[in-house]
Amino acid sequence: MTHREMTCPLLSDDSVDVLLDYSAGRLDKARSARLERHMEACDACAAFRVEQSALWSALDEWEPEPVSMDFNRRLWHKIDVQAAAPWYWRLADSLRMGTWKSAIPLAAAALVVAVGFMMDHQGITPLTPGVAGTKGVSITEVDQVEKTLDDVQLLKQFDSTVTEAGASKTM
Amino acid sequence: MWERVNTTMGASPVPDLDAQLMLRVRDGDEDSFRVLLEKHRNPLIHFLYRMVQDQPVSEELAQEVFLRIYRSRGSYEPTARFTTWMFRIATHLALNWLRDEKNERATERLDEDRGSDMPARELPDKKPSVEQRMVYQARLQEIRDAISLLPEKQRAAVLMHKYREMEYAQIASALECSESAVKSLLFRAYETLRARLAHMVTRGAL
Repeated sequence: MTHREMTCPLLSDDSVDVLLDYSAGRLDKARSARLERHMEACDACAAFRVEQSALWSALDEWEPEPVSMDFNRRLWHKIDVQAAAPWYWRLADSLRMGTWKSAIPLAAAALVVAVGFMMDHQGITPLTPGVAGTKGVSITEVDQVEKTLDDVQLLKQFDSTVTEAGASKTM
Repeated sequence: MWERVNTTMGASPVPDLDAQLMLRVRDGDEDSFRVLLEKHRNPLIHFLYRMVQDQPVSEELAQEVFLRIYRSRGSYEPTARFTTWMFRIATHLALNWLRDEKNERATERLDEDRGSDMPARELPDKKPSVEQRMVYQARLQEIRDAISLLPEKQRAAVLMHKYREMEYAQIASALECSESAVKSLLFRAYETLRARLAHMVTRGAL
């Protein structure tokens, strides 16, 4: 059973900071005393404190690696190199660092809109240019209308066949 | 963008000492930058090391953080704590590195250099025995593995909370989320760590 499954309201996302701060020794005296009184009666919080304190100690074992002696020298060298570089070099450097990456979604969206616009306008060819009422109607659209009418006719035929068959069955 | 100098997150109206130093850097005082570098270099590298678990990479990322800070000096405005801003840049770079599909190639390249550049890891104990050393390394590896298996944001939150002792508001600013989201991240992360390191935690608790 995890602490999350226990019932004490202190063991919820919003309130757990009190217990975390206590385990880390960062809670002020007054609040610590109040929490200690609570933990005397609350097994869940008492268990949380013990385990969290032990985890805290375990994590303390992970000491960082020593830092290279020449870190500052390398940094100042980079600063000097950048300061002396021409503007286009600095621009290329910022591109290399990936500052342009945030523009990718925007560029992709713009490309999709542009391609969509082009496709939308590509197939429209006026049948009789200059004749009022037919402007903007393409051959493709006329074909589609004819096909749809054919489909509707087929459906009607199918529907009447099914109705007739149903009627003969019930008789 | 991450590297933007507008530091209006987790804002405190009074500039801290670091922010005052950064203002001097803005006015052309390089010595103040040296002070900031000396003060924050190790904590920053240690944070990045625990994030990416690779010392040469963590130093490269730390250099990038300081470079960005230095380059942004001209437009710096102290509307938030300096460390919040610094760790925000660092977290962004670390998360990018972790997510970058090219990082494997970079690791291979840096692995080749590692032998020549890096001094050998020294244990804090006075001349530990081989057995002690092996036990220590095994425990350390378990801790490293447990942390590296956390989702990236949980990992960053734990490292800032545990090792940098940052406040929830600061962590929220660095991770660009709400304080309650940070508490949730920490709760889940510590819960996972307690489960993964249960044998250590139980032994420590007894």
